[in-house]
Amino acid sequence: MTVVAERPAEQADPSPSTTRAGSGRRAKAPRNVSRWLLPLWATLVFVFLFLPIAVVIVYSFNVGRLLISWDHFGFDSFAAIVTKPAVRDAVLVSLRTGLIAAVLATALGTLAGIAMARTPGKWVPWFLGLLLLISVTPEIVDAVALLPWVVFLGQDLGLSIFNDGTVRLVIGQSLFSIAIVSYIVRARLVGLDAKLEEASADLYAKPFTTFAKVTLPLAMPAVLAGFLLSFTLGLDNTIVSAFVQVSGTTPWPVYVLSALRSGLRPEIAAVSTIMLVLTLGALALVALVLKKAGDSAADIARTMAGG
Amino acid sequence: MRKLRIRFGLALPAWVWLLVFFVVPIGVVVWYSFGYKPSIFSTNANDKLSFDRYVEALSPTFFATFQNTLWVGIAGTALCLIIGAPVAYWIAVKCAPSRRGMFLALVMVPFWTNFLVRTIGWQIILAPEGWLSHALQFLGVIPGPLGILNTRGAVLLGVVYNYLPLMILPLFVAFDRVSGPLREASKDLGAGSWQTFFRVTIPLAQPGIIAGVLLVYIPLMGDYITATVLGGAKGNMVGQIVASQFQTAQNWALGSAMAVLLILTIALSIGVMAAIGWLVTIPIRRSYRLTLEDAR
Repeated sequence: MTVVAERPAEQADPSPSTTRAGSGRRAKAPRNVSRWLLPLWATLVFVFLFLPIAVVIVYSFNVGRLLISWDHFGFDSFAAIVTKPAVRDAVLVSLRTGLIAAVLATALGTLAGIAMARTPGKWVPWFLGLLLLISVTPEIVDAVALLPWVVFLGQDLGLSIFNDGTVRLVIGQSLFSIAIVSYIVRARLVGLDAKLEEASADLYAKPFTTFAKVTLPLAMPAVLAGFLLSFTLGLDNTIVSAFVQVSGTTPWPVYVLSALRSGLRPEIAAVSTIMLVLTLGALALVALVLKKAGDSAADIARTMAGG
Repeated sequence: MRKLRIRFGLALPAWVWLLVFFVVPIGVVVWYSFGYKPSIFSTNANDKLSFDRYVEALSPTFFATFQNTLWVGIAGTALCLIIGAPVAYWIAVKCAPSRRGMFLALVMVPFWTNFLVRTIGWQIILAPEGWLSHALQFLGVIPGPLGILNTRGAVLLGVVYNYLPLMILPLFVAFDRVSGPLREASKDLGAGSWQTFFRVTIPLAQPGIIAGVLLVYIPLMGDYITATVLGGAKGNMVGQIVASQFQTAQNWALGSAMAVLLILTIALSIGVMAAIGWLVTIPIRRSYRLTLEDAR
């Protein structure tokens, strides 16, 4: 390593002529791989990744009875969002529960993340283990576990709050989000020295003042990113929501899931297109917040992949 | 000391919330799985405990679904790795650093697009009366309408598509970590490009590869939406039969046993994969040691 570091910069990247004799012919194949094959492969994969999304966007302008069979171009499906109460209500339920769940998950996750970063101890591995367990449990298992539980709490124990559709959806959507927010906030604070908080305490700030004026602002980029990711996750939550929902508060993805059986109509694609734009906006905000906070592309990728 | 206790207390709300709405419900499911369904009108009872539901869940009808899920899980994860690794490597190492952020964003956008909607996009594409089917018939590639929808192939395509970003992102992070200086050092010490790739980049990126495989394999095994949208009757996955036990059959005991078996299958297969991976890499690790000693 030191040898490399001491070499003059212009020699660090040897030109092809200086490569070891005899390996010249063999080196040609890798160069072709990196020059042509890899970019070509990446392009194909990007086309693959965007193909269905593009198809949904195009088909959102389909004026026909069924989404799948193209009739002709028009904006009827977008108008239907406003005029059809079922569609509009489902979207509103999603936005509302997504927002509440995101606020809740951000509050709990931020507190937990700060606690993990600033009071390390034997409990941290346990808590991290629990968060890991939550993030690896298949959603369908969460769903079938939560349904009997809320029914038990609401009907057998008579805690009527658990019969409320919004409450149930918020609970279901919050679990995974709490794990994500805790990871992100912890990762950010672990990377920052606790000296500022110690200084604040030394200057006779009360613990709460230190928390509100020093710790929280330090964690803020992670908190914001966590909030937006939670909101997006809440909007997308399908499986758990499908199980715990109460008729009357059907969130958007569950509406789509049930429409699968009765026949998909173009307004589903129209709402999806609008949601896509919303999600992109939220993601761009997350990336911007993280970049302002000094994260590299790799850090942002790690955060977005869920810690 | 007092300050410490206050700080620890910050995690308390999350602890309580997750215990009440995650740990306890999962525990209840495990408890239900030892019970039975007493009559058509009730979902479960636990006055007699037995392993009968597990036996039932592994009877030939359901066992085939478990096998199918394992097949889709392993094939899907392998395909994600094969398809995703070159892309991650290209973004992290070979593409222009100034464009890196943009390409990463391109991977993330599909990942953050609604899962169900993406899958419906494939349903539109693969439909026998869809544009792809018409185009392929027009070009003479296929004789009749496209028949891939509602097959295991469509489910495989769908899961590879849906989980591919989850493979690319951790792989990117891993390849990115194996920074330029290390590879340059390898080249300066006389290694060719292939040698550098296999002896420096891949071993150092191994944690990322493992992370990617787990991130794809675990949710894929529990997948329910892809199979429902693209699989039809033939492409049954465990997630679907668990859901149907709770939603239509109203047999919570059997559904719980299936859910527990699903988790056990995932854990067990990961253990087996880890063991195989460890065994397979023994000769490689040994050869490293030898070359290192030779070099000394």
